Amino acid sequence: MLRILILEDEPFIAMDLQLAFEDVGVEPHVAANCDAALAVADEIDLDGAVLDVNLGQGQTCAPVAALLRSKSVPFVLHTGDLDRQGEFLRDLDAPVIPKPTTSRVLVETVIGLLKLDVTETAVR
Amino acid sequence: MSRDHDAQFGRLIGSDQVHIANANSAETVTGRPGFSGASGMLFEQAMAQTRMAVCLTDPNLPDDPIVFCNTSFEKLTGYPSHEIIGRNCRFLQGPKTSRRQLDRLKEALAREEVAVIELLNYRKDGSTFWNALHLGPIYDAAGKLVYFFGSQWDVTDIHLAREEEKHARMMAREVSHRLKNVVSVIGGIISITGRSLKVRDAADAINERVQALARAYEPTLDDAVFGTVEIGQAIKSVLQPYDPEGDRIGFTGNGVRTNPNAVSLIGLTLHELATNATKYGALSTESGTIEVGWRHEPDRHGRESLLIDWVERGGPAITEPVGTTGTGLTIADTLLAHSRAVLEREWHHSGLHAQIWLPIQS
Repeated sequence: MLRILILEDEPFIAMDLQLAFEDVGVEPHVAANCDAALAVADEIDLDGAVLDVNLGQGQTCAPVAALLRSKSVPFVLHTGDLDRQGEFLRDLDAPVIPKPTTSRVLVETVIGLLKLDVTETAVR
Repeated sequence: MSRDHDAQFGRLIGSDQVHIANANSAETVTGRPGFSGASGMLFEQAMAQTRMAVCLTDPNLPDDPIVFCNTSFEKLTGYPSHEIIGRNCRFLQGPKTSRRQLDRLKEALAREEVAVIELLNYRKDGSTFWNALHLGPIYDAAGKLVYFFGSQWDVTDIHLAREEEKHARMMAREVSHRLKNVVSVIGGIISITGRSLKVRDAADAINERVQALARAYEPTLDDAVFGTVEIGQAIKSVLQPYDPEGDRIGFTGNGVRTNPNAVSLIGLTLHELATNATKYGALSTESGTIEVGWRHEPDRHGRESLLIDWVERGGPAITEPVGTTGTGLTIADTLLAHSRAVLEREWHHSGLHAQIWLPIQS
């Protein structure tokens, strides 16, 4: 089973994404801040990640992006802050999925962008 | 100050050597020779009485002190002339005066250049004002630097307006970011609820409407500061996901502005039209197109209205109206009716032609 890291500090968005990935047979690992995400990336063999850019209190996903890059784990950025973060996002050099996007569409997009091989086990 | 003015002032001074009287006393500053004749008196009167704040400094004295100032200068700074004459201009600077601007000032003086420099200055009572300082060198007939001329213009109002505009834009961007986050969170709640109540499709439909609304508002947030918004931006933003490559939907409009309240109405109605086009109309085929235009026009009752024109072509051949019984357009019709607006639909053989007529509130 494929494993995806979800770094997201908003609990409702995190839960929605977690359930949406489970719908398609992917195993999600949710982290609400950088420290938790770094721990997950260290301990678990990840196939991909969805990173929220603004994590509250001025924190960004940059350290997690760096670690994932060093481990060759592909990731996408999920953010509403395209205007102000323009340069920062370009430097991270990863696909950007703008907020708001429905979780179903986000999961489809992530699977396509990261070229993940899933067996669809849709649960309705 | 233009260079011409400088040259003229210089010539006046050069020919007769300048006489600078302290504006508040009948005496002249000791040792200074004066203008001759009527033109000299006129000049002195003008300098004394002008509402433009003016001062002269003498760079040949230690620390380049002010040797002349007029009444307007006293009024602007709050100091009487006897507390001004003999001091270097820096007494008007304070803790928040920009170091960078001071460096520019120093450089202009060193290079004997004409310059305009905006500085924060402090009055005698401690209050501040933004000073657009125009300064220029004055030479005698021999080309020697004899004075620096400075005129001070209070531009505090302009500065405040600029700051307010910057602030407004910053706020708009913050609001935009928060709106997107709120809509995302709502999306999560709706999705999770729909899942647990086993109504995923309904939940998805709701989410899509909420997000269409958010997209409609997004480009108008900056604009709304001005009381009206450019509706074209909202239209393009709502329809963008239906035409990611940008080759199915054409847009024609010309900066037409409207009441911000119209944005949600127009956004939702266009979303419903686009959803229908995707299921039954021009977007359900490989090459169908939609032309969307917007302009002001009087409606059939003669009321000045915002007209949004929607013309589908290249979809499946139409033999009878389709998609008329779905909830989407019923919702749109009801919302539009509340604003005395109307969505008209005609099915031509080539496709749907819809028009949204929104009377403009005056």
